[in-house]
Amino acid sequence: MELTSRHISDKAFGLLAGFSAIVLVLVLGVILVPMILEGTGAVIFRGTVEFRAMQLNEFGHGDASKVQAEIAEVRPLRERLYDIIDTFKRGVDIDALQERAGQIHRQFGAELRYKDTPRERYTSLRSISRRIRDKLRAAFAGTDKEQMAQQIDSVLQYRGDARFEGTIATGYFELAAEFQESLQHIDLRRRRRYKEGLDEVEQIIRELFGPRPDGPPPALAMYRYGATRWDQAQKSLQRLLWTEKWVQLEQSRPLQKTLIERKKEFMGTQLEPLFGFVEENLAQMLRPKWTFYWRYFVDDSTPGHYFGGVGPEILGTIVLTVLSMVFVIPLGVISSAFLVEFASDNFVIRIIRMCINTLAGVPSIVFGLFGLAFFILFLIPAFGGPSKPCILAGAMTLAVLTLPVMIRASEEAIRTVPRAYKEGSLALGASRFWTFVAVTLPAALPGILTGVILSLSRVAGETAPILFTAGIAVGPLPKSVFDTTRTLSYGSWDMAVGDRLSAMVPHNQYGMVVTLVFLVLCLNGLAIVLRSRVFRKLKGQ
Amino acid sequence: MMQQTADFGRPLLLSASQDLRGFLGLHLGRALLFVITCTSVLAVFCIFLFVGLEAVPFLAKFSLVEFFTGTGWYPEAEDPEFGALALIAGSVYVTLVAMLFAVPVGVLAAVFLSDIVSLRIRTIVKPAIEILAAIPSVAYGFFAVLVLAPWLQRKLGFATGTNALNASLVLSVMALPTIISVAEDSISAVGRDLREGSYSLGATRFETICRVVIPAAHSGIIAAIVLGMMRAIGETMVVWMASGNASQIPSPWWDLSQSVRTMTATIAGDMGETARGSDHYRALFALGLLLLVFIFLLNAGSEYFLARAKKALGKS
Amino acid sequence: MTRMVFCRLAIVALTAASTFAAPSQTMHVEGSTTVGPIADGFAEVFQRMYRNVTITVNKSGSGTGAAALLDGRCDIATMSRPMKEKEYKDAIGKGVFPFGHVVAMDGACVVVHPSNPVRALSSSQVRDIYLGKITNWKQLGGPDIKIIPVSRDSSSGTYETFNSFVMKKEKMASNVEYVSTNPQAFARVKTTRGAIGYVGFGFVQSGVRAVELDGITPTTETILSGRYPVSRPLFMYTNGYPELGSIAHKFITFHLTEKGQEVIEDKGFVPLTKY
Repeated sequence: MELTSRHISDKAFGLLAGFSAIVLVLVLGVILVPMILEGTGAVIFRGTVEFRAMQLNEFGHGDASKVQAEIAEVRPLRERLYDIIDTFKRGVDIDALQERAGQIHRQFGAELRYKDTPRERYTSLRSISRRIRDKLRAAFAGTDKEQMAQQIDSVLQYRGDARFEGTIATGYFELAAEFQESLQHIDLRRRRRYKEGLDEVEQIIRELFGPRPDGPPPALAMYRYGATRWDQAQKSLQRLLWTEKWVQLEQSRPLQKTLIERKKEFMGTQLEPLFGFVEENLAQMLRPKWTFYWRYFVDDSTPGHYFGGVGPEILGTIVLTVLSMVFVIPLGVISSAFLVEFASDNFVIRIIRMCINTLAGVPSIVFGLFGLAFFILFLIPAFGGPSKPCILAGAMTLAVLTLPVMIRASEEAIRTVPRAYKEGSLALGASRFWTFVAVTLPAALPGILTGVILSLSRVAGETAPILFTAGIAVGPLPKSVFDTTRTLSYGSWDMAVGDRLSAMVPHNQYGMVVTLVFLVLCLNGLAIVLRSRVFRKLKGQ
Repeated sequence: MMQQTADFGRPLLLSASQDLRGFLGLHLGRALLFVITCTSVLAVFCIFLFVGLEAVPFLAKFSLVEFFTGTGWYPEAEDPEFGALALIAGSVYVTLVAMLFAVPVGVLAAVFLSDIVSLRIRTIVKPAIEILAAIPSVAYGFFAVLVLAPWLQRKLGFATGTNALNASLVLSVMALPTIISVAEDSISAVGRDLREGSYSLGATRFETICRVVIPAAHSGIIAAIVLGMMRAIGETMVVWMASGNASQIPSPWWDLSQSVRTMTATIAGDMGETARGSDHYRALFALGLLLLVFIFLLNAGSEYFLARAKKALGKS
Repeated sequence: MTRMVFCRLAIVALTAASTFAAPSQTMHVEGSTTVGPIADGFAEVFQRMYRNVTITVNKSGSGTGAAALLDGRCDIATMSRPMKEKEYKDAIGKGVFPFGHVVAMDGACVVVHPSNPVRALSSSQVRDIYLGKITNWKQLGGPDIKIIPVSRDSSSGTYETFNSFVMKKEKMASNVEYVSTNPQAFARVKTTRGAIGYVGFGFVQSGVRAVELDGITPTTETILSGRYPVSRPLFMYTNGYPELGSIAHKFITFHLTEKGQEVIEDKGFVPLTKY
């Protein structure tokens, strides 16, 4: 009996231990796989004609003639879309009509001033124009069809007036005539609600297809183009066809989300066919095509990372890490050389080793504080430099952070060089210095290189030390080592929490993190491969 | 030149007077290398000095007792309160819970790697652990906020997804590689003779591991745990994004679903918008100094246990 | 060999970074994280209109922006609150004459998860929530869910506005979760059923619902007129009034143009003009 229970416990323990290893691998998968899947969406996706237009106009990539041809192809379909909206809008969009009336009044006044009209005539024309404008506005916003018709008629009486001929004021009469016509069709009671619904619909159409081709281009780059990715377009289409409403199903319980077909809101109006039209013709209006956006790693991005790539971030990471390597490699190799060649196990050496281990354990944010207090506020100004966050301070902070890694790896590399090498060189009469430089160091070089690569990958991934010493989220490319820079790590953090626009572009969020993880993993993989080769080579001795 | 007698009592080196250049070269060079190596000591010293310099005015002005026992952290209020107890408790709480998850898994995995599995599988699993160690903390933070937090809310019905449990889980994953590698090193270093003696007495593998190997390596394992704790307590980005940042001590103390705030997250979060030289700024440096002291003590502890482990191995 | 490659890469990278043509004029804007996006938008438009000007925008907090203006480290300081008495005094002492320009209006809108049936709260109720006196939505007529109050951290201008108007400067309870930015606050409320938070007007998008505060809904009208209790002006401070026609002058009057209004609306604030 005893034997079997021991047997069972033994097997169970073996399984448990194996289980823990499986848990490790699973955890790795759970963390990495969703990120990688989403992140590759930043580089490989179905791009629409809007994407190609954006690439052409904002970054100058792509074949201009082909893109123009595509835009010309999709235009007729989109025109039909805008026609449907416009006919509906005429009777409904009170605010636009009122604004147009106000605009005509302002422009008329400007025209009169430009023509240097004499004072009296100017005042009288302006007051008539004001009266017309007010009447039109009242008509547009009215609720009684008869009254509105009267007001329109009184405006149209001025049509024949010679003083307004050939001026901007004729716009009043066009407006009035159009409105008179649409007055037949509109349902006054539902106008307000239609207007609100129309606003939403128009916003989604703008998201899908960009601004109207005939209007002025928007100021910000992100609004100049429609949906650049097919998955974005699909999401917008869903929002177009279905509205979200939160309804109370039971008392004192949270509301539940329900979806209502938007078409039903506009049943019987001129806008109803829009929804079916968009749904059927979306692919033709956007022309999605599988795109491999390798320039993601090179392009700059529009503010907020809405469009574009992570080129400056990659450059910033490279500059920062390489500069910190410049500081840390000499320090690390020389320190490990001393520790291997000259050190005996006395008190001083133990203190040094303890300090190296302490350095390895200091939290990264405290390194940031140290970098701020020491490098930025003390050391750089002492040499006459500017006392502000800069790449130099960040690189030096990161160098101190990664010094223990470098020392440990170099020490290991130098120690594993077989003694025979060193003894042979010494036997031939070389001094200790030359033995080290000409024999030991080259033999330890692969191991030291492994250490360099591990340090590089550690430094590339650090965020906390550069939070207040070198990193910024938005800014120009650095022109010297006294500027701040964007980096992949800081940018990833900023996109995850700080940026208003990044939630709208999850593929860019993940893209940046995945670029960073990919970079770090490549470096680590390289180190692992190098180390196994060195291991094999030295074992073969 | 005088003929030297064959004296093998001392090394055959030319004395200083005979080869001044060589002598100077060796000893000056050695001194130079020594000085360069001392940069690491200098660095540690400077860290303590400069962080302390910025922190000391604050500590002189406000009472230490209030700093360590007050629970209200209102640095920008009209009468500011700098009570760091909730922050310290948050750091410690999250670290301990992370260790609760990480230590069993880590030690078991270390045992698995050193004793149970063949060399071939080991060379596959070890890189997996190194990859886990190499992933930047921002990526872990991403995972914690965008994937783990909603999952905790949906599946476990927590009121808020960014809480102590979230931060602890991710921290345990981050501390695992450290624990596994150090524990595995010390378990492997336990000599074959101990194991073989146990097997020859008829013990099963389970009994050998539990009753012989792990006790023999216990100092090393404790050192591994302490190193893991150092990693967890010093982590910033993940806890800042995932712990919710409510400076409170959870009210039933075992309620992991409540938000907590750690010292590291406070420093990182508040520093950006604080005016230089203000009390708030100095208070953050004081927190940094406190962290340094914690780390120093933990490090000393791990060194002690590692030294004991080496001694124990030397004996057996 | 590999080290040589590394060296070469470094040199190439550093030279590449430094050969970008230095434009003839630079302007530095520093300050609030709330107003920062407006400055970003203006800067983006300016880069297109005036190609030989570089404008850098740094968002580190209203207080830091004021300090930078006093030290002469920036040309324009963006702040989401007026300068404090101490800041004015220090400025005069250093020979700097801060001149504030209101460029837009903002409101700290109280938002809840869309599934929350509570649609209106009074400011005293909100204060009690943040003081920890009300802890469950059922005490306010809602479902039986614990309230998770979310706040911006204490160095943010939005926090200060909320603190002075709603909290009446009382200290918040310890169970309040702190986030450091508007998007984070938005994300917390959007994903947490029982959450209540306050965000800038531009963040009241689908995903959260704004509640009426003291019976007033936050809209462009109520914020612009100040009827909404937690509305505040957003400032840009310069050292004296900038020289007419200079880039700084164009920058701080850009909000009066149609394009400027468009940028402000796009960024989610309430413009002062009505084109």
